[in-house]
Amino acid sequence: MAHRRKSIGIQRIAAYATIAVALVVTLFPVYWIAANSFKYDIDIFSIPPQWVPANPTSKHYHAAFVERPFLIYALNSLIIAVSTTLVSVVFGSLAGYALARFQYPGRWRYQISFWILSTRMMPPIVTIIPLYIAFNHLGMLNTKPAVIIAYTAFNLPFATWMMKSYFQDLPVELEEAAMVDGDTRWGAFLHVALPLARPGLAATAIFCLIISWNEFLLALILTLTERSQTLPIGIAGRVTQYNTYWGEISAAGFTACIPIMLFAFVVQKHLVRGISFGAVKG
Amino acid sequence: MASVVFQDVVKKFGTFTAVSDLNLEVRDKEFLVLLGPSGCGKTTTMRMVAGLEEVTTGEIFIGSDPVNDVLPKYRDVAMVFQSYALYPHLSVAENIGYPLKIRKVPQDKRRRSVMEVARRVELDGLLDRLPKQLSGGQRQRVALARAIIRTPKVFLMDEPLSNLDAKLRVQMRAELKHLQHELQVTTIYVTHDQIEAMTLAHRVAVMNKGVIEQLGTPKEIYNNPRTLFVAGFIGSPPMNLIDGEVKDGVFTSLGGIRVDGLGSANVASAVLGARPEDIHVLPAGNAKANIVAPIYSVELTGESTLVTLRAGAALLTIRADKNFVGDFDQMVEVGFAPERVFLFDRQSQDRVDF
Repeated sequence: MAHRRKSIGIQRIAAYATIAVALVVTLFPVYWIAANSFKYDIDIFSIPPQWVPANPTSKHYHAAFVERPFLIYALNSLIIAVSTTLVSVVFGSLAGYALARFQYPGRWRYQISFWILSTRMMPPIVTIIPLYIAFNHLGMLNTKPAVIIAYTAFNLPFATWMMKSYFQDLPVELEEAAMVDGDTRWGAFLHVALPLARPGLAATAIFCLIISWNEFLLALILTLTERSQTLPIGIAGRVTQYNTYWGEISAAGFTACIPIMLFAFVVQKHLVRGISFGAVKG
Repeated sequence: MASVVFQDVVKKFGTFTAVSDLNLEVRDKEFLVLLGPSGCGKTTTMRMVAGLEEVTTGEIFIGSDPVNDVLPKYRDVAMVFQSYALYPHLSVAENIGYPLKIRKVPQDKRRRSVMEVARRVELDGLLDRLPKQLSGGQRQRVALARAIIRTPKVFLMDEPLSNLDAKLRVQMRAELKHLQHELQVTTIYVTHDQIEAMTLAHRVAVMNKGVIEQLGTPKEIYNNPRTLFVAGFIGSPPMNLIDGEVKDGVFTSLGGIRVDGLGSANVASAVLGARPEDIHVLPAGNAKANIVAPIYSVELTGESTLVTLRAGAALLTIRADKNFVGDFDQMVEVGFAPERVFLFDRQSQDRVDF
């Protein structure tokens, strides 16, 4: 008995130690950015490092959001990320439902699903030149809709697959009951399947949001000015040939974390359930 | 109020035939039970009436209307699912009122109907709960209430009692029967439980491998089974089915059972069927005994005693008086009533009349 209790104690200490290391590794960079955004330039590089800003200043925030157009970059990011997420979740749900529920001849359900996913198998960079040329011909370069379309193309397969697996996990009798009770297929989807897939919707939405909020490569090629440039592009733009503005980069970078953190916090209940939804039933 | 007619209905899933050439008329206001083992096509048959499965060939009529190409919502049927299929995100009241909400019945009228139906199935007081906060029996009542809130042409019930415990099942069975009598709505009821079929049905259709083996009143099915399958499926404990041969009206089995007085029947590979209550324990030394065999087991059920004998390789179950006393391996003499036994042909599986 005594031996048993002791071994559990050691296990627990080991577990906490591992968690502590993981937390430091993942959270320290975030803290470091936050701390640097409040330091004067000279303090950012001080040796030994200044763990806590000695003379906190908001000058980098002022520089980024008042002197430079980071507010506009943030707004662009918000419009693009939210639009992409909305379109991806709406069409991902519809496509996912169709793949989960409808009858297909032979192995076509599998074929179509695989084809949709296969569009994610190539590296995005191979599509950049065709996308650039296409948007150029359409006169859509350096516009937000172009970025939204490109992001949606990359998010939709993912959203479709996630929603497909959520719908597959819902008991089909619920929709059948709705249809016998007098609903159409569309009504059963809207009144029964969709409300029950809420955890899936939340999980899909946050993944789409994170991907489009953080995306860099496509935005770099498709955008040119603050008319459509997003936060990651704006931040990268502060690495200039003369100077790297670490203070502004930190201020903008830390600010960019906040909306996603807030959103994740709001939907985290759904998110945890959503992620484990397919694995554990009941 | 309507009849349901199946005309040469076939349902195939790929190459598998789930229902083959079904012809059946469910009469107006009738309680018809589709009875059979799992995979016999009974649920598929019901789902075709609901419109949840398409008919491969043939035609289904509800009333006088062919419904093959009619969406479920226009068929005016109500269904109780085995899993109840309650909407987990809606309260009891919203679940029950759902069919009316879809039909855009005004809210105050809807609320009155929900109250009325809830009172009828004793759910008033639980209307604000969610399905997950209810017991199995209560969920079953919600499913029932949702079905009866409008008066559909046909009720479809897919093993509605199979998820309840034994005591509740008996109680709900009686309630269901009473409800159907009161509402006078044509009902198709699917079950694999022959007791449910016997107790509930006006007529029972015994299904096996996609075909109806026999259609008749519970009494007919029990007293006059037309096939070996029906004989073995109906009755608890099941009918004793003993392999042997019949020559000039005399049945003999390898286990030493001899029954004469079977007319002038001749069947090379015959099956003798005798219900446990139609075999009697005789006093020792009786010349009329059909077999003398040792006791394999004795089970007192309360109202009677089930005595199982070892007759060669086969076991023979007899429903004896509740005061029967016997020990393992004790020899017992039993007699068959020749007018109460059935003969089947092992090859064709059909009854042989004598």
